Amino acid sequence: MKTGVIKLLIVVLGINIFFAYIGLYFLPQSESRPPKELKLAPGVSQDDLVLLGEEIVFGKGQCMVCHPMKPETGMRAPAIATIGADMKKEAEKRGIPYEEYLFIALVAPSKYVAEGYDDIMPPVHKPPTSLNEGELIAVAAYLQSRGGTVTVKYPDSLEQLREIIRREGGS
Amino acid sequence: MAEKDIKKGVLKGLLKLTLILGAGFLLLGILGRILPSPTEDGYRFFPVIGSRVWVWIVAQLHLNFAAFVLGVPIFAVTMEFLGWRRKDERLDRIAYDFTKLFTLAYTLTAVMGAVLMVSLPILYPKFIQHLMKVLGPTWWAYILFMYGEVFVCYYYFYSWHRMKDRKGLHVLLGVLLNVMGTILLLITSSWVGYMTTPAGVTETGELVNRWQAIKTYMWIPLSLHRLVANVVFGAGIAAAYAAFRFITATTPEEKAYYDWMGYTSAMIAIGFSLILPGIGYLLGVEIYAFNEQMGIQLMGGFYAWLWVMQAILIGAILFFINYYLWISLNKMPGGERYFRYVKFLFIVVLLGYAIWLTPHSVALSLEEARRIGSYHPVLGKLGVMASKNTAVIISYMATFISFAIFRMSNKEPTVSWASMGKWLRVLIIVASTGVVLFLGVYSYMVPSVTRVKVLSPIQFGVFLLSILALYILDSRMFKGARVIGEPRWGQMPERSQYALIGITVTFTWLMGMMGYMRSGGRQYWHVYGILKDTSPDAYLPAHGVASVIVTLVTLLFFLMVAFVFWSVMKLEMIAEQRRAK
Repeated sequence: MKTGVIKLLIVVLGINIFFAYIGLYFLPQSESRPPKELKLAPGVSQDDLVLLGEEIVFGKGQCMVCHPMKPETGMRAPAIATIGADMKKEAEKRGIPYEEYLFIALVAPSKYVAEGYDDIMPPVHKPPTSLNEGELIAVAAYLQSRGGTVTVKYPDSLEQLREIIRREGGS
Repeated sequence: MAEKDIKKGVLKGLLKLTLILGAGFLLLGILGRILPSPTEDGYRFFPVIGSRVWVWIVAQLHLNFAAFVLGVPIFAVTMEFLGWRRKDERLDRIAYDFTKLFTLAYTLTAVMGAVLMVSLPILYPKFIQHLMKVLGPTWWAYILFMYGEVFVCYYYFYSWHRMKDRKGLHVLLGVLLNVMGTILLLITSSWVGYMTTPAGVTETGELVNRWQAIKTYMWIPLSLHRLVANVVFGAGIAAAYAAFRFITATTPEEKAYYDWMGYTSAMIAIGFSLILPGIGYLLGVEIYAFNEQMGIQLMGGFYAWLWVMQAILIGAILFFINYYLWISLNKMPGGERYFRYVKFLFIVVLLGYAIWLTPHSVALSLEEARRIGSYHPVLGKLGVMASKNTAVIISYMATFISFAIFRMSNKEPTVSWASMGKWLRVLIIVASTGVVLFLGVYSYMVPSVTRVKVLSPIQFGVFLLSILALYILDSRMFKGARVIGEPRWGQMPERSQYALIGITVTFTWLMGMMGYMRSGGRQYWHVYGILKDTSPDAYLPAHGVASVIVTLVTLLFFLMVAFVFWSVMKLEMIAEQRRAK
């Protein structure tokens, strides 16, 4: 009886150690830290804006959880690779200035949902994503750079962004 | 456990709960006065291991015991009912044994609950204030129903023998106990639901509508998932208890009884676990409906590898149960006729396991993402839900076939249509597998919303229908069948019992890990999008750290469960000695 109980203890301990071992040595070991808030310096160049925007799109913005880089079957949201050109065409089709369309897509995405997709995108200036004004402009610059021309600037585009947030996206 | 006067027993239970709760409130008051004030953003810090790890361990232990004491009564009362209607003493005994277990486990559940009740307001005062502001009345309802449940539970246990001539009424008591348990589960799920998929409050957390804050996206699917998982878990613990008693049994009669108890409990666990993926899917759909980003974050990204870990764990459970069933063929006269199928079932389960293990998206650096896009070019295609759902369903189908083979292995059908029935069985298996495979491949070609809302539910539906059809077919075909020989209960090698223990340990580990993932889905929020976690613990730890904590919780839980098992044996011994005197 005692041997049986000891074997049983070994089994319980062994299985637990085995799973802990897999967790420790077979899975990647990185932590997921809350993103830091980006503060832009006035007059930051458009090239730098694009780079900062890329970092946000792949990080804090969590855009890549829905948007694939390249078009693929069954994608939930438009592909990033040509999104700048696609949005420009869409803005022209709807008769809206390109930059305005771009900012609306970020802060009030339900207003113009791209054809063939569900209305799933949250306004990214609100929690949980909570991008600040500088970060929104950086993301807009990065999106424009994907197949289009970068026109947004910091802080020049701030006034337009604030107006759109006031009008379309709440506080 | 000695039989006592019903009134005395119930009073004892209520007094115990009052003492535990009273001690908790007292300690809360004392600690609130003697400890330094919380930081400006509302935190105190637990020494050495930190507040997060402390609350994690205590909450998970409490949850494990809660799952046990909510899950076991469901099948205890079912067994009692069946024993009563079929006049089967053995079923009544197993129901009583289960009742002994959960009545004893109540005390440990309450103790862990009280530790959590003290820990949360002390370490996270601002967060708890917010929860009380939004959901406060549900907490007081929780305490009220807890008293109700303890009252009914102790009455149910202590009146077992006294009410043996009024079984119907006693079964009703058991049903009432389960109603109480379900209400408690609904209340606690509403708290978790609010934290993860909040509603009924403004963006700054001001209460607008309390009912909306209770009735969140997650509430009902989470409650359903927990309810079924509790039955699976409770049955698993009962199987572990049976295995423990089998190993320590000294007479063939005891061995036979505990072998049967282990088999029955394990089959209940696996039977109910068959519907868990479907309910889990429903839970996933609701999370996606609340916030697509959260859904995708939970299913991939940082958690991608933990889903691989989940596959390792569920795959291990399937292997343990299949192994147990294959060994069990040895105790069935005529079971040897089916040995040749075992290798094929093994291959199917193994292939399903391999596909299930394949990750889809993994955490990528910016450089890697630039190079390959969001997903791995090869594994990304195999690691999607289209193939995984298919693999899981086929693995479950193989497990059901192992079970069906075991059930019929000592019988030979005598009905005139037996030969056609056998072919019909093959047809159901082949056709349903074919449909599941076809839908799996077709899922690649449709938008994800069609896969999620249409094709995957159809796959699960086809699977459930086919096992139901197989079950009904076998029941009809083997009605009045020639029995080759009765099962030789008790004649099982000891290693079969380790497989039973393996199922329960793995399931406990799985519960710990999935609980962490569900909680981590909120990322750096106490209440997602409403109340930010600004403590130093506001990050998701590395998977290795999480695994070590889950292991620690599982070991602690089994230590406490061993104490419950030992207490039951001790009390049985005392009762035996009293009877002898």
